[in-house]
Amino acid sequence: MDSFLAFFENSTFAGWIRGELDGSTLVFPVVVTLHTIGMGFVAGGSAAIDLRLLGVARKLPLELMGRFLPLLWLAFVVNAVSGILLLIAYPTKALTNPVFYFKVCMIALAAWLLHRTGDAAMRAPEGEQEAEVANTKMLAIASLGCWIALITAGRLLAYTRRWEMLGIPSVG
Amino acid sequence: MEIEPWEAFIRSTALHTLVRHYEPWLWPLCETLHYLGLSLLLGTVGLFDLRVLGVARGIPFQAIHRLIPWGIGGYVLNIITGIVFFFGHPDQYFYNNAFRFKALFMAIAGLNVVAFYGTSAFRELATLKGGMEAPMRAKIIAGTSLAMWVSVLICGRLLTFFRPPFFH
Repeated sequence: MDSFLAFFENSTFAGWIRGELDGSTLVFPVVVTLHTIGMGFVAGGSAAIDLRLLGVARKLPLELMGRFLPLLWLAFVVNAVSGILLLIAYPTKALTNPVFYFKVCMIALAAWLLHRTGDAAMRAPEGEQEAEVANTKMLAIASLGCWIALITAGRLLAYTRRWEMLGIPSVG
Repeated sequence: MEIEPWEAFIRSTALHTLVRHYEPWLWPLCETLHYLGLSLLLGTVGLFDLRVLGVARGIPFQAIHRLIPWGIGGYVLNIITGIVFFFGHPDQYFYNNAFRFKALFMAIAGLNVVAFYGTSAFRELATLKGGMEAPMRAKIIAGTSLAMWVSVLICGRLLTFFRPPFFH
């Protein structure tokens, strides 16, 4: 194991997250559960805005859809924090897996797309029933695709060892 | 523990054989679809519930209700993938307390849907315009919906921590 990764992996804090310390059994289940609830709200809520931008529920006022953005960003922050905790708990497992780096790229892209689609929704003139700009629809499609890729990558992280068993080499 | 008749039946089905045969890739695929489905459900039904509870009050109920079919799509996707999981490893779910609570919360969520569409609660809401506050009855139903779906998610996530101590 890389000594840099070992420093984190062998720390008391990492052991606490993994539930190895007395009284810390609940930490790991709570962290992964928060990560899943956050995912549901940020990915699902973002997808709802994307669908609206693509023409679903046209009577839904776009600028009012923007009122949900603080909740979605809160869910994003919950997932960033819980994700960092999971990374500290198992750094070697994540950082030696190419799927993890793909997931990180998708997180950055999804955040940027949520910022752009949220901005497009907020700036829609009052009473406008449709996102006329083709560019906005492209952003919405990209956002939907990004969430699908991100969730797929996240789920596949649990199968790291099987990827290696399939002969796909890991980095590092 | 002895294998009971219901479990013997599930293990005799073609679906059980199929799931076990293709498990290495079918299981991760169905898990991924299950997560996409739950996101779609929370992102549409969840936002509707929040509107009924008073968030983004300017939104007309009928307008945001148009998102619900997408939530139903997510629900159906999760029922199908859930059946795949259950038929693959019935003992791992049936003898799991997290699964039993999950089934209970799903049943309450189902009754809650009946309470919403089966009574005048939905029609009452549909006549209200944007900016108006939902009646208390609708708020109770929306709050129950939100609480139940989050509880279903929590129990689902905790399944792996409550595995029965045996494999059939």
